[in-house]
Amino acid sequence: MFSFGIASKLKKIVGRDSVLDRAEDLMLYEYDGSLARGMPNFVVFPQNTEQVSAIMKLACSEQLSVIPRGAGTGLSGGAIARRGGIVLSLARMNRILEIDVANLRATVQPGVVNLDLSAALAPQGFYFAPDPSSQKACTIGGNVAENSGGPHTLVSGVTVNHVTGIEVVLPDGRIAQLGSKSANAAGYDLPGVFVGSEGTFGIATAITVKICRLPESVATLLSIYDDVQDAANTVVALTTEGITPAAIEMLDGWTLRAVEAYVHAGYPLDSAAVLLIELEGLREAVDEQAEIVSAVCRRAGAREVRRAKDENERQLLWKGRKTAFGAIGRVSPSYYVQDGVIPRTRVPETLRKIEEVGKKHSLTIGNIFHAGDGNLHPLILFDARDEQQTRRTLEAGREILEFCISVGGSITGEHGVGMEKQDLMSSLFSDSELEVMARLRKCFNPDSVLNPQKLLPSIRTCRETVMPGHASLDAPVASGAELR
Amino acid sequence: MSSGISIRHDIVPQLEQLLGPEAVFVSDLQRYSIDGVLPTAVARPGSAEQIPALLKIANEQNWTVVSFGGGTRQQVGQTIERIDIVLSTERLDKIENYDPGDLTIAVQSGARVDSVSTACAQHRQLLALEAPAGATIGGALAANESGPLRAGFGAPRDFCIGVNFVTGDGVKGRGGGRVVKNVAGYDLMKLMIGSFGTLGVIVSANFKLFPLAQQTATFITEFDSVAQAIQVRDWLLRSPLAPISAELINPTASEYLTNRAPRDPDSWAPEAPSQQKKRWMLALRFAGSDRLLARCRKELAFASPRDLTEAEQMAFWRAVAGFEATAIERHRNGMIFHVSAPLAESQNVIEAAQGAATDYNFVASTIARVTVGTLVIAFLPLAVDPPGATQFASAASHFRSRLSRGASAVVMRCPLEAKPQFDLWGSTPSDIALMRKIKRAFDPNNILNRGRFLVE
Repeated sequence: MFSFGIASKLKKIVGRDSVLDRAEDLMLYEYDGSLARGMPNFVVFPQNTEQVSAIMKLACSEQLSVIPRGAGTGLSGGAIARRGGIVLSLARMNRILEIDVANLRATVQPGVVNLDLSAALAPQGFYFAPDPSSQKACTIGGNVAENSGGPHTLVSGVTVNHVTGIEVVLPDGRIAQLGSKSANAAGYDLPGVFVGSEGTFGIATAITVKICRLPESVATLLSIYDDVQDAANTVVALTTEGITPAAIEMLDGWTLRAVEAYVHAGYPLDSAAVLLIELEGLREAVDEQAEIVSAVCRRAGAREVRRAKDENERQLLWKGRKTAFGAIGRVSPSYYVQDGVIPRTRVPETLRKIEEVGKKHSLTIGNIFHAGDGNLHPLILFDARDEQQTRRTLEAGREILEFCISVGGSITGEHGVGMEKQDLMSSLFSDSELEVMARLRKCFNPDSVLNPQKLLPSIRTCRETVMPGHASLDAPVASGAELR
Repeated sequence: MSSGISIRHDIVPQLEQLLGPEAVFVSDLQRYSIDGVLPTAVARPGSAEQIPALLKIANEQNWTVVSFGGGTRQQVGQTIERIDIVLSTERLDKIENYDPGDLTIAVQSGARVDSVSTACAQHRQLLALEAPAGATIGGALAANESGPLRAGFGAPRDFCIGVNFVTGDGVKGRGGGRVVKNVAGYDLMKLMIGSFGTLGVIVSANFKLFPLAQQTATFITEFDSVAQAIQVRDWLLRSPLAPISAELINPTASEYLTNRAPRDPDSWAPEAPSQQKKRWMLALRFAGSDRLLARCRKELAFASPRDLTEAEQMAFWRAVAGFEATAIERHRNGMIFHVSAPLAESQNVIEAAQGAATDYNFVASTIARVTVGTLVIAFLPLAVDPPGATQFASAASHFRSRLSRGASAVVMRCPLEAKPQFDLWGSTPSDIALMRKIKRAFDPNNILNRGRFLVE
């Protein structure tokens, strides 16, 4: 059989215990953190760069798609095998290759878990700054693919600001070096353009990142409001006052009650919204700023501003924020997270708009977001078994994102386009702008062997990726790629 | 990559038809000469919308195009053999959108960096882009300019949040947008920044701004050797202090910070070489409240720093930012390197430059951005027995041979006669084959800055 031959070739490359091809095993790799699904034909677990290269060469000669996958926590469907093919899991390439304090760099394999790197750096007083909420599980390879952010990216930047060098395997199997440990490399900024390419340019097999000193002092404030608009106005006031906290997170009343029931973080159950504000730096600066921020919050109408009195209380407040999605999972059969971005001064009106959209579609929408940089994560609750409700949910999500576009914002701040927001790309970018992006992709991935039908709008991608010999593999997954 | 025969006598009438006669001129071209090569015509589009049409025709006719902002970096790279059209962005100089509440600004590419900075400063906000006097927004991005503030605020790749450009064949491209966090689509800002006008013509760009510091303090510490200074740098990297500027200035470079009056060009002679031994200077600038600055002062006390007054600070940092210009003003035949190297290699780079310079009759003047790992190094020819054209090439290759593979040393300026003697870009740790593919995809007929860049 056709696929039997491929399985044995894959086993020859990575070893017998590193290939999955039985339906019951493959089913586990049908999902990621998004609503999409698609069944792969094989899952492989390479252990080194050479194996990744050999897999890519085999995939090219067999005309099979390859879908790179980290921890599968992605929220935009980036790791879904839309048209079958090989899911290439980087989970076993999880070694920290080098911690180089003298150069303020670390080099890791792509499967290293985000928080594990920071844990390994902590004894020397350093950490890796990007901190997506999934950082206990998500991998640095996945962070590179999605250009991940997190609460603290407000002051420290997203993944691309922390990557200076990447070893990549290109779709034809060639191993290429992009950048180094230096701040710049002569020529085009290839690592810069690779980060955020969502697995459509190549597979990162070694990543050199900047490491940052742990702050001397941290203050975490919880600012409590009786009106969600006051919380939104605080965000605007902090920005205009010229204060840049390390993080400004917002949870509305509905969300914080759901979280509190699960985590017992100490969020006040009777409030309409809270802001979680963190300040970092030298003791002197943190103490002074904490006072200024508290005053700004109170002026904007905060009922109360609390400061976490110790590390334990601080961790608890953050645990509430970072496990919020899990908490919502307990109260609703399904939820749909959006990732829109708006200019920071538009937070108040955008919250009103989200409320309006929820009412219009009779849906509950919780709000939890990185308020400081205008990155919203409205959570739309629904029951996936209810087809009509699912449709309304998707429609509501779309309306919210279209509103974000209309006020000069974006459809994704950190989750990526993937297959979830592909079609919205045409609302954000013109045809010619998308053509230029497609040209760039062709430089890396001319036949769309790697992660096909992602990021750019589907019509364009389909046209680009039609390849003879795919029909037999396409058929079983054609409907599986639809939204649940 | 070039193809076809261009019909060049058509250029002016066709441009006039396209842009209007007021936007095309063929006299007073000296201002736009690059390495002595004069363009056939200068086009100054009055609207960004005209640029795609202009480049489409140029691409079809195989007319070579050089985009031109303030002209501050046109001498970078290999000499362009033929320039059919200089595309000047001088009329595209508007601030398109500035909402201080959002700390973002959208600007056309022809706007001057200094005038945009001034507009931001009026709202007590900082555009962290630092560029030579007269540089435009588009030019500063194309040349990936940065200065002493890079330690605190990053490079253009860190605060440019959106870019609009037109490819060599006239297709409008865009990356990013007007919000500070955005991952929709490929990050084309990164591609345009530092591409020296070889991938497209930048039309406008958007930036994230920072609150302007209420006050800063600058501490100068002096050392007898580079090794001592680097030890303090290493201590600093592990300390909780976060300077917004940290520059290590070698003894000869400090000469260009204290006395800006041009003397005899092409001669380097210290003020009074026998009287006083100049020392290595580490200049650290911090921003923050009185208490924070007092803490920094306390932490640094072991190095007995000198505190600059407010007026001194202004003058000092202006001089540091202007170091390259001052050096070239005094030494027409200077050779300037922009080096980027891993932090632990800083001392090696400084010593390698010194060694190579001395061997070929130059003096190396160095300003090192020591918490970032970038260096500006001027090789200044000695007045006695000045180096010949091939010695520039030899000095560069000697210098580069002592750097690690991860480092880059780009020649930003050298005498015209020396240019054909060597590769001005040097080696890169990044993949050249991919760069070439990208160049062909964005500029299929290689009409933009033909022959200038390292990928050809």
